[in-house]
Amino acid sequence: MQKVTLTVNGREVTAEIDERTLLLEFVRDTAGLTGTHNGCMEARCGCCAIEVDGDVVKSCNVLAVQVNGAEVTTIEGLSPQKLGPVQQVTTQTLAGVYEPLDAIRSSVEDLHPLQAAFHRCHALQCGFCTPGMVMVLKDYLEENPAPCRDDVRKAIAGNLCRCTGYQHIVDAAMEAAEVMRGAGATTTDD
Amino acid sequence: MTEAPPRSTTGTAPRRLVGTSVPRKEDLALLTGTARFIDDIALPGMVHAKVLRSSLAHARVRSVDTEPARELPGVLDVLAGAELVGKVKPWGDLMQDLLVGDHFPFATDKVLYEGQELAAVVAETAYQALDGCEAVAVDLEPLPAVVDPEVALRPDSPLVQEGIVYEFGDGNIFDRYKVRIGDFEAAEREAAVVVRQRFATNKQAGAALDPHGCVASYDSFTGVLTLYSSTQSIYMVRDVLADVLQIPRTKVRVIVPEVGAGFGSKAQIFGHEVIASLFSMRLGRPVKLVLGRGEIFRVGTTRNAQVRYAELAMTADGDITGYRDYVVHNTGAMSVWGNQVVHIGTNVGMLPYPIPNIHVDSDIVHTTTAPGGPLRGFGIPQVIWAKEQLVDMAARELGLDPLAVRARNVVDPEEFPFRTPMGHIIDSTSIKQCLLASADAIGWTAKRAAPVPYEGLGLAVSMKYTSCRHPSLDTDLSAVRLRLETDGTVTIYSSDVSHGQSHATMLSQIVADGLGVGIEKISLAPPDSMTAPFGLGTYASRGAAVLGTACRLATERLRDKVLAIAAHVLEVGPEDLDAGNDRVYVKGLPDSGIHLEIIAATAAYRTHQLPPGFEPTLETVATYDTPTEREASNGSGNLSVTYSGAAHAAHVRVDPDTGQITVVDYAMVHDTGTVINPLIVEGQHQGGFLMGLGMALSEDYVYDEDGHQLNASFKDYLAVTAPDVPELTKIYEIPAPSTTIPGGQKGAGESGTGPVPAAIGNAVFNATGVRFTILPITPQRMLIALREKERRGVATIRYPDDMPDFTGPRTPEEWPRPTAADGGDFDFDFDWDAEEDTD
Repeated sequence: MQKVTLTVNGREVTAEIDERTLLLEFVRDTAGLTGTHNGCMEARCGCCAIEVDGDVVKSCNVLAVQVNGAEVTTIEGLSPQKLGPVQQVTTQTLAGVYEPLDAIRSSVEDLHPLQAAFHRCHALQCGFCTPGMVMVLKDYLEENPAPCRDDVRKAIAGNLCRCTGYQHIVDAAMEAAEVMRGAGATTTDD
Repeated sequence: MTEAPPRSTTGTAPRRLVGTSVPRKEDLALLTGTARFIDDIALPGMVHAKVLRSSLAHARVRSVDTEPARELPGVLDVLAGAELVGKVKPWGDLMQDLLVGDHFPFATDKVLYEGQELAAVVAETAYQALDGCEAVAVDLEPLPAVVDPEVALRPDSPLVQEGIVYEFGDGNIFDRYKVRIGDFEAAEREAAVVVRQRFATNKQAGAALDPHGCVASYDSFTGVLTLYSSTQSIYMVRDVLADVLQIPRTKVRVIVPEVGAGFGSKAQIFGHEVIASLFSMRLGRPVKLVLGRGEIFRVGTTRNAQVRYAELAMTADGDITGYRDYVVHNTGAMSVWGNQVVHIGTNVGMLPYPIPNIHVDSDIVHTTTAPGGPLRGFGIPQVIWAKEQLVDMAARELGLDPLAVRARNVVDPEEFPFRTPMGHIIDSTSIKQCLLASADAIGWTAKRAAPVPYEGLGLAVSMKYTSCRHPSLDTDLSAVRLRLETDGTVTIYSSDVSHGQSHATMLSQIVADGLGVGIEKISLAPPDSMTAPFGLGTYASRGAAVLGTACRLATERLRDKVLAIAAHVLEVGPEDLDAGNDRVYVKGLPDSGIHLEIIAATAAYRTHQLPPGFEPTLETVATYDTPTEREASNGSGNLSVTYSGAAHAAHVRVDPDTGQITVVDYAMVHDTGTVINPLIVEGQHQGGFLMGLGMALSEDYVYDEDGHQLNASFKDYLAVTAPDVPELTKIYEIPAPSTTIPGGQKGAGESGTGPVPAAIGNAVFNATGVRFTILPITPQRMLIALREKERRGVATIRYPDDMPDFTGPRTPEEWPRPTAADGGDFDFDFDWDAEEDTD
């Protein structure tokens, strides 16, 4: 057993873990963030991609002890839950519960531009590969803000999707790239 | 493409949502990481199980000693086969024509395929369970494996299944299938050309990224076993599990979290679901058992590989007059669904041509390979691979244009419904227009007239069933229960698991239109056998048409109740009312009326204000069973409620130096009837194409002669990646709404897969002169074929048939014959009166 501390989405998480514990397992089981998925455990499908100290890694092929002390960002770190103090619960906020889709379209601060673009472009079906896709594309687009479609395809060549045929994922990445470049002030399409 | 959902703003006319690309209701949780898949479930006190699987494909089990595992730290319990014999009922026989209990949690006396369960360990942690599996001492005596289904047919082949008496099979033959329509031999005599070719198809994995897995939780006080499972069908799992454990069905509750796709590979119960249940019942603690990728490859069911000895008869004008086929169908070591694939795939695979003379024999064969099962397309891509290449071959022999030949033959009746000789009832179709549009989109005429070296065009057309009445499962139903909640929101209950198909959005669109309620107020409850109405599950492209129709019926019933209350309160007739803007109003006055929440609250909390005799609360249920037929004894029948059309045109480029095949351009034109959500349907077609592209160019199970799978990982199994896929923007719909389904929908999920391998195969021939008769068409195979073609100096060549090292039959004279000749185990035309004295 070994003591490991990671900062996950800004929160410090410390635990005594089996040395065999993978970073993926630390994120899921110790930090309790299950948005990072285990699809193959052999660094091929990309469902477990997360950011470690600013670089994207496939967390199923890294031991947690290898990255002791690192800063980790997962899919949950891109769009924190919107939690309001109790006094804000009024009829109006309850009514707001009825319009979750509006929240996505109206403001970029609720969701990362990639998440919003994935929604608009129908870039996810079962959604299992989505967190890994989004994390890899985030890293890629931050370094390559104006890619062509073939560039995007190569960027996600290490992420499998069995549902979409990738077409809408590439569409979403191109849209998000535009927003991330600042070309579009909002993500709304109407 | 996307449009904002309608607002419940006063004064605007209600909008119809069906037919619009409403953004998906499912997305938020999936995008932000809060969605819970099977591996995300953690229950208090939960422990972890792992399975020890056979490393041999075929072996006698001498002994399995679980004692060493029991000594290890953290290990709580160990199970192996022998101790369960007589305590757990074998399964595989839920459906009436599958009278075999060939499935059991563990191999007992014999291992039939690599990866079969030998023992399982449950421990406090997953690592301790893995340590426990390593400690189990297994003694196996290797037996010869049989990987090739044609070898499995030989009398001297190793016998895979022992001690099971098959109704229609013997030896390694699990089942047989025949079609006898018209007179093929007459068609053969009268034809201008009969093309004959042996085709083989590959064993493809669904490879859904979300693993197969479950969490079982048993409470000994209530006697209820709760199983969380990543399955496509809660009631098939519940009914088989209850039967296996011999407990009442009310004591088994199956709940499904988010499921990360299945493509057919999760459409049955698996051994691990029984194992986790047994552990939980023995320990009284929740048990998680999620499979690893290698395990899923080996046990998670695959597309059934086939060898087809196929023949097609054509007149000089290009009319297709006959089809004959002998199919050797490799269904793996055991299979619940495998034989159905031949029946349905062949029946529906004859479309889109109303072929008058059809003669098919099939031997459905066991080998010591991974279990076969349903996979996107359900046998149809295999048939189309053979048949659509034969069409091109015949057209070539006759000097006809493959496009013109297809246009001449596709079903295009003057009147609907039209019954084909095979028995399909075509209630509507636009397949001919789809074909012409796909050829147009790819630039067929211009490009064929100006060929470019190593580039080629190919066409293929298919029609795919929407729903299916399986020969072994005389039912085709889905059900929906709706509840208008007391605040005017709506809950939909269904047992058909959405695992990527967008049921929450699609069903909500139907309900929103019918009740006039805003789509944001509608929710789909997670599938739960304790609360959901009985339905078969999500497979066979049946969601939009069958489940959608049940939803439409339930919505109409709910609407009638809502209008009855409103009519009573407003003192008008229900026929004068309309629903929209979250309210019921007098026609023409959408700003007035009563809000649904008032009506709903009245029905629950102010029941004396209800109309006299009105049964309180607003809950309706509807079950829709399709008006489909059972399979007739000659193999014919209308097994699907309606048929969606798919016409694909491929433009490929082959690199003669590397053998690399690139799909340069691809056009897909579909008839999906009335489309509920165009963006979702487009996504289904693109995904269907991906599965077809994998089948065509890269995906296959590779076995060594001992039955070891050499590529049971994503490192070696070449799943299609983003750079492999062409831009899929040439996607068009030519809707011919179903006249049988009230809303006009047709199935969308699988029609994108069927034509892909054949369209690419035809394009590859056009580009290179190489006729591939096996799948996948890999660069290595391409290079070998091109070199052999050059060496011989011929214009065309077949791969692998004309390769020097090919050992199979090269000409029809050498073809094998079906094992059951006519007049064998069942004779359709047997005349009992005339042959009284035969015994």
